[in-house]
Amino acid sequence: MLTIENIEVTYHHTVQALRGLSLEVPDGKIVTLLGTNGAGKTTTLKAASNLLALENGEVGEGRISFNGQSIMSIQPDRLVQQGLFHVREGRRVFTEMTVEDNLIAASYALDQRKVKPDYDKVYDFFPRLKERRRQVAGYLSGGEQQMLAFGRAMIARPELILMDEPSLGLAPKIVEEIFDTIKRLNTEDGTSILLVEQNAGVAFGVADYGYIMESGQIVMEGDVAKLRNDKDIQSFYLGMSDDGSDARQSFRDVKHYKRRKRWLS
Amino acid sequence: MGQIAQYAINGLMSGAIYALIAVGIVSVYKATKVVNFAHGYLIMFGAYFYYTFAVIFPGMDWAPAWLASWQPGWMTEMREGLTMFSPMGAVLDWAANLPRIVFGLAGALVCNAILGRIIERVLMRPLMGQSVFAMIMVTVGLISILSGGAQLIWTADADFVPTIAPNTPLRFEMFGTMIFLFGADLVNMVIALLMFGGIVLWVRYTKGGIAIRATAEDQSTAYSMGISVPKVFSRAWVLASTTGAIAGAILATRNGISPSLGLFGFSVLAIVLMGGLDSYVGVFIAAMSVGVLEAMTQWKMGGDWAEIVPYVTVLVVLIWRPHGLFGQKEVERI
Repeated sequence: MLTIENIEVTYHHTVQALRGLSLEVPDGKIVTLLGTNGAGKTTTLKAASNLLALENGEVGEGRISFNGQSIMSIQPDRLVQQGLFHVREGRRVFTEMTVEDNLIAASYALDQRKVKPDYDKVYDFFPRLKERRRQVAGYLSGGEQQMLAFGRAMIARPELILMDEPSLGLAPKIVEEIFDTIKRLNTEDGTSILLVEQNAGVAFGVADYGYIMESGQIVMEGDVAKLRNDKDIQSFYLGMSDDGSDARQSFRDVKHYKRRKRWLS
Repeated sequence: MGQIAQYAINGLMSGAIYALIAVGIVSVYKATKVVNFAHGYLIMFGAYFYYTFAVIFPGMDWAPAWLASWQPGWMTEMREGLTMFSPMGAVLDWAANLPRIVFGLAGALVCNAILGRIIERVLMRPLMGQSVFAMIMVTVGLISILSGGAQLIWTADADFVPTIAPNTPLRFEMFGTMIFLFGADLVNMVIALLMFGGIVLWVRYTKGGIAIRATAEDQSTAYSMGISVPKVFSRAWVLASTTGAIAGAILATRNGISPSLGLFGFSVLAIVLMGGLDSYVGVFIAAMSVGVLEAMTQWKMGGDWAEIVPYVTVLVVLIWRPHGLFGQKEVERI
């Protein structure tokens, strides 16, 4: 579905954010991309949805293709209409517009496809949004805004959703709900999902395959089952102690040099 | 009391035209966050296009005679026996001008739409993604280009254009005094109000309007909804230039045509700031109040003051409310 081959991205011609990153999202799968802050996860998604140019970013080398077609020369709005939808980091709902208008805005993704937007489906999925559909979106709670962001994605009927940290700033219970929704989008509609997360525990709960990235490169990949049993991932991302037990480890006990371990060294 | 009504009506009539001019500035600002300083000159071009199609072209040798003055047999018959300055005579004068008025308005709309599109495509689009300030400076530069261009093409001589509606004097009684106004002014006001209302409804209730509002708030997210942001930009500019064409034509019928029409843009810019750059409602109220205030000052204090008092009021309002009367401060969750 989505193939990224060996791309390099620079911002303002000087700051290199990605150095030779490759990854692949197969049809109908959920793939997760994990990494620390500043590793380049969001940049990867923006490269795939062609939004980099708006922020003075540039894909220097490598290829990105969606459904076998290179995306480099396609305008971002056309890309959405072809079925690649990007749920941005921090939800980015239109705060001054009502919930309903937010959903109507997303129906532009259906232009030039003979599909009618299905608002009822979104409202069935998220009854909360139906109650608040005439309310200005800026006054929704964080969880509701995330629901709205998902609702917009559902209106657009994408084949692939790029999802940037859906758990950001949400309470654990809401995060659980949100990830149930992600699973449902995947199983019921067959939508492929590339999920960027900081919260490795919940991401592994829904994903089929995972990539770990650090300073602009993929340093590890594999099936989720395999990643979950990896010692380094357990200690860095899942917060488990070295012997694999669930006992929480205090940061004080971790030796400094160990916490700074590099994947490639 | 009657005098007040007379001046209030005069004020509302010029206020409606201010509102029609303001709608162009607000639309461009809403969609692109650019304050278009050159809007007055866009209007001036609209006025000159109207002049070209309604006065210059019909006067050319190749133009058919009916375009310049339409005199079918039945009209000449009706004209017989009419006294000077009779209302019927004014209507007939207007009817004779009708072909060139329609031709002029159509020409002004089309040419100004093309002009707006060219400006957006050539000057604004390449600056997308740069700071908005760069685009605003471009509109400042555009002022010189447009005003110089107009003088090159049409020379700086003043001239007159046919009014859009029959200019019959109307008299009626209100609060015990006779009110006196011109039919053309009344029709101008109705046209301006209808256009203003139409645009406001369009932005608020249609899908196209939602695209404009979405782009206004967050360009890159609008892109990721499948909205073609460049298309929204050019749509906003075309909207501004076409409403500007009508406003320009109306101004030209009231004040005659000359390069100084462009200066109207600046006074309207003050009105727009007073109403709130992104609020149609606020701008409407501001335009109407400045119009009425101008008329009232003219009545009580004379023409010299009429140019100052309303804008001092604008200043005071801005000190009191920096975002303008109805300008949107950002929605924040507390």
